[in-house]
Amino acid sequence: MKERAIELTVNGIALNITVPVHQTLLDTLREQLGFTDTKYGCGTGECGACSVIIDDHESLCSCMALASTLNGRSITTAAGLASNGLNAVQQAFIDQTAVQCGYCTPGMVVKSTSLLRKNPNPSEEEIRKELEGNICRCTGYDSIVKAVQQAAQSFPESDTQWDNAVELKAGANS
Amino acid sequence: MSSRILPNFDLLVPNSTSEAVNLLAHYQERAAILAGGTDLIVAMKMNYESEILISVSELDGLDYIDFDPSSGLHIGAKATVSQILDNAEVKQYYPALWQAANVFATPQIRTAATLAGNVLRGSPAGDCSCALLALGARIVLQSTEGKREVAIEDFWTGYNQNARQSNELAIEIIVDAPQSATGSAFHRMTRVNEDLAKLNGSVRLDMDGKICKSARIAMGCVGPTTLRLPKTEKLLQNEEITPELLAHVTDMVPTEISPIDDKRSTAEYRLMVSGVVIKRLIEQAATAAN
Repeated sequence: MKERAIELTVNGIALNITVPVHQTLLDTLREQLGFTDTKYGCGTGECGACSVIIDDHESLCSCMALASTLNGRSITTAAGLASNGLNAVQQAFIDQTAVQCGYCTPGMVVKSTSLLRKNPNPSEEEIRKELEGNICRCTGYDSIVKAVQQAAQSFPESDTQWDNAVELKAGANS
Repeated sequence: MSSRILPNFDLLVPNSTSEAVNLLAHYQERAAILAGGTDLIVAMKMNYESEILISVSELDGLDYIDFDPSSGLHIGAKATVSQILDNAEVKQYYPALWQAANVFATPQIRTAATLAGNVLRGSPAGDCSCALLALGARIVLQSTEGKREVAIEDFWTGYNQNARQSNELAIEIIVDAPQSATGSAFHRMTRVNEDLAKLNGSVRLDMDGKICKSARIAMGCVGPTTLRLPKTEKLLQNEEITPELLAHVTDMVPTEISPIDDKRSTAEYRLMVSGVVIKRLIEQAATAAN
């Protein structure tokens, strides 16, 4: 087949969409559904700008995953973390000035949230190891590590904080 | 070539192993098998083309990791490196495999990449592959004609090549059961953690008190495939591990490998460090065994 109808939950919204089989999840999110918060960096899994959370906990490079093979899975992007205002990681990135050019930030926020959901009390070493797959060319990482440490004080998340996405983006489900 | 756009292909998504092997029997080398995609998708963005991709994403029941003290560790072909890392029995009984998974690529890649994919890729730099060669493993291949098992030392037939026939699907990896005093360890050398290894090594020792009953030693990035070092293994067999013996080991290791210069390191450097890497791994594995 060249196209496939799949069920994909994006930021808490269950979608029935048809995707070209050779479309990466990144392109499905950005081009087809309008979730442009997820960034295209290297396209080969080195930089982590395209990171999304899959099935609520694990992080995944959306540039190397085919949407057509993710039938029934649940995807959360950086925008989907802000269900009821910014989540603790997003707020901490602002508080610690962990954002400069901002291109890596959605991936960083997503990866950090995934880390804190699996390990709500990480050491600095664990934070640095978990963020190995996310490259930032501006900050030198120190402020990012501080932001994750600040956010850790608000984890584990309460049930209501679990991502139940932002409003359906224009173009979604079309 | 583009890191953004994939070439066209036909996607097939079988629901069962039998459906998958029927498709493979029909399409043979026209089809490539897609699991985590962390190698295949990147290759397709660069230079590799396949008319048909068969995705294992919806195959039932191949994502298990089951440990049995007598038959060993059974790892389904869909089990990811991240699952290996989260498995307490792997950490306890197969430290070399756990340590390899722990430094394997990045968390995002470990989520998708499968252990079976790492072995099938046949790269001489594969970290989990190196640990599996030291631990002793078999790859279970299934076709419409039945199942067969291939020992990991016979599986890689050349650089990026393996013994899988085009009508076969790898369904499981079985890692040999540990003995009463088995220890193992893995180490790799890189410029930065995210890199592929410039050199990796792994050791499994079956001990009896201070005596090493038998050893399996593997090293990667020093030949067309990950290599076993049989002469070094023999040095250790039925011997007490003493500083003198380890000095012999350090001298023997470089005679068994054939590294080249490439972008990650030089042959000279690899030869120079190889003996020390294995010496330290033996010490570590011996400690883990007791």
